Amino acid sequence: MTAWQRLKPLRIRLLTLLVILGPGLITASADNDAPGIATYSMAGSTYGYRFLWVILAITVGEIIVMEMAGRMGAVTGKGAADLIREQFGVRVTVFAMVCLLIANLGTTIGEFAGVAAGTELFGLPRYISVPLAALLVGLLVTRGSYRYVEKVLLALSLAALSYIITAFIEHPNWGEVLRQAIMPAFQGGTDYLLTLLAVVGTTITPWGIVYMQASVADKGVALDEYKYTRLDVVTGSAWGNVVSAFIVICTAATLFAVGIRVETAEQAAMALEPLAGVWAKGLFAVGLLAASLLAASVLPLSTAYAVSEAFGWEHGLDRPLREARIFYSLYVGIIVLSVAIVLIPGIPLFPLMWFSQSVNAILLPVLLVLVLKLANDKRLLGRWTNSRLQNVLAWVLTGLIILATVLLFASPLVS
Amino acid sequence: MPYLSDLIGKPVADVDGECIGHLTDLIASLRGKMPHPEIVALAVKRSGGILLVPFSDVAAFIAPAIPLTRRLQDIVPYEPGEQGLYLAQDVLDKQIIDTNGMRVVRVNDLELVRVNGHFYVANVDVGGLGLLRRLGLLKTAQWFAGRFRRKLRPSTISWDAVELLPGDQPMRLRVPSDKIAELHPADLAEIISDLSRSESSRLLESLDVKTVADTLEEVEPDFQASLVEAMPDEKVADVLEEMAPDEAADLLAELPQDRSRELLELMEDEEAEDVRKLLTYPEDTAGGIMTTEFIAVRPDYTAEQAVSVLREAADEAETILYVYVTDSEDHLVGVFSLRDLVLARPETPVAQFMQHRVASVSLRDSQDEVARVVAKYDLSAVPVVDDQGRLHGIVTADDALDKIIPTKWKKRLPRLYH
Repeated sequence: MTAWQRLKPLRIRLLTLLVILGPGLITASADNDAPGIATYSMAGSTYGYRFLWVILAITVGEIIVMEMAGRMGAVTGKGAADLIREQFGVRVTVFAMVCLLIANLGTTIGEFAGVAAGTELFGLPRYISVPLAALLVGLLVTRGSYRYVEKVLLALSLAALSYIITAFIEHPNWGEVLRQAIMPAFQGGTDYLLTLLAVVGTTITPWGIVYMQASVADKGVALDEYKYTRLDVVTGSAWGNVVSAFIVICTAATLFAVGIRVETAEQAAMALEPLAGVWAKGLFAVGLLAASLLAASVLPLSTAYAVSEAFGWEHGLDRPLREARIFYSLYVGIIVLSVAIVLIPGIPLFPLMWFSQSVNAILLPVLLVLVLKLANDKRLLGRWTNSRLQNVLAWVLTGLIILATVLLFASPLVS
Repeated sequence: MPYLSDLIGKPVADVDGECIGHLTDLIASLRGKMPHPEIVALAVKRSGGILLVPFSDVAAFIAPAIPLTRRLQDIVPYEPGEQGLYLAQDVLDKQIIDTNGMRVVRVNDLELVRVNGHFYVANVDVGGLGLLRRLGLLKTAQWFAGRFRRKLRPSTISWDAVELLPGDQPMRLRVPSDKIAELHPADLAEIISDLSRSESSRLLESLDVKTVADTLEEVEPDFQASLVEAMPDEKVADVLEEMAPDEAADLLAELPQDRSRELLELMEDEEAEDVRKLLTYPEDTAGGIMTTEFIAVRPDYTAEQAVSVLREAADEAETILYVYVTDSEDHLVGVFSLRDLVLARPETPVAQFMQHRVASVSLRDSQDEVARVVAKYDLSAVPVVDDQGRLHGIVTADDALDKIIPTKWKKRLPRLYH
């Protein structure tokens, strides 16, 4: 039976689903960039369904954090870096921006590793594809033609949806899936903690917070229409994690079941074989590539924007190079450094992708604490400050991430 | 000269040498004719709250611990008046407009200056040295620079060339400033594109209708549309009337249909009519980019009459370099330049010195075609006619070339999704 025939009854169902969930799902699949796909594939193939409850819990966390960022953007009309500088002064800003830079550099490395892994599945060596992709990304964004390509990439990133279909084809033990999704379980060990942090760090990212706030501020949402923005934020975050959960379910059902722990893109692609057969590699590669290119287009630029804004350096793509040297250096620097690291001979791409997300999580509390303080500032937000429930949940989240980080660094000492 | 960042955090001692708290802020106020605000009070943080100490109670401002001339209980707290500006809270780390450099910069530090025993805010430090000083790395950096025989140059702006953003000013200072209103609209447009959306709309709100209109004409229509999004309809309608009809039409075309219909209703009939007509032509055709504000006379007018028409209409017209000649049914029959007019004898009818062969474009011609005609005949404006040769408007060279050389890039984040 060919893949297409296998797909036939599902096609109808998929179409109906798409009509209902269209916009949210596009957001959701774009949310799962290369480091994301890598992290969830690794988690699912190594620990089975054991990370499902984490995804459920982190969904709540993501909604809380992203809503905060969106609200601050809507009320103040300023970006997160802006507010940090204005409220906390230079020293704190330097610390926060260094953390943001490291985290975003890590994720950008992850994205270009995704490009490398994706094209190598097609047999194109990374030494050609990655510099080419960097050039392409740079040209698209600076020449303003990104808008047109964006739609194509968004459409291609829908490939991530194939995880949902594959999961249903595989007929996993849904009772077991459900049980593990609601029953928190925890274990020690460096590997587990790194995976845990990666799952958290790829879902709630420092750059996601900064980007969310900047884009809401940039759109200029009127406060009486803020409830729609909130709905957008909440559904966007929720749907992103539905796809994430299905990546875990899918890899758990296909790879964990037969004892394959994903360490390469080839292995990760095998999770889609029940759906796509011999085309699994292609499908996986297309999804990985599209999501990586999308994020790689936005991430370095929004980082350069945020940092320049915080320090008052001239910025913007409409500026000539001589006026905005630092801005352009940051932008180009992030891309060049990422490419250079991905091109180090023999560097394992797949671990690079998910490990960058563990680093993200470790740095996340710095930004979280600052954002939390800002979101409770009456002078800044007036009646739009956090509710008590939001504060409690956000502090618990921050505390747990710090705890996991401490355990991670302590565990080699204990054992 | 002292810097604000050096002063903040210093201990403050009363006349007995008892430490009463630490300096957290300085209050400055504009007094008399000085363009620089004077320090009038110190905000001292104490365990019980903030105490505002009048500057007259300060014995020595530049000291490791600031001594006062009174006992704590004798201090009459300063009453923050209408003019008070909290330097650390309202200015430090905030964005300001550098009205000389026409750019938006961030305040890294404030330099104070002492004149006759009073302290004034002299300069705003917007450079890297200010950042380094705040980090406590200035000495290290200077030492390093010295090793390489380089001198680090401070980057400062005098306070009188600085404008605070409306959002960061205390309420009472929110009056449109002369410094801003005096800027060229193109520079103002550049500053606005540097600001976030809410800041730029607040800045626009503080300006008068004429300045807003001139500024909007300098930016791309979709950016215009986003700027007027939050503005009240009445004001937008006034601004639209003030703008050239072609610019107004471009802006309206970018707005949601309901809003643009409402705005047209609010506009004066005459202006609205012009704009409505322009809106019927596709955006990238001669009809879409033309303006209806041109000067036309009849062939039997004398040069003298033409001059008086020109005088009357000059304010409204987009250009007075060309005067078009039309017959009673608006057919374009000729054109003459300002130069032809000036050189002609006052009593000569315009028909005698006008050019009969007029380079023109038709309403449906593409923008590219218009640009080509403008370039080919070296014109600063080209008339737009319909199939019967009736004159409907003109396209000025800058509008024709707009598509090839865009006026202004918009500052916009690339979207990932949403």
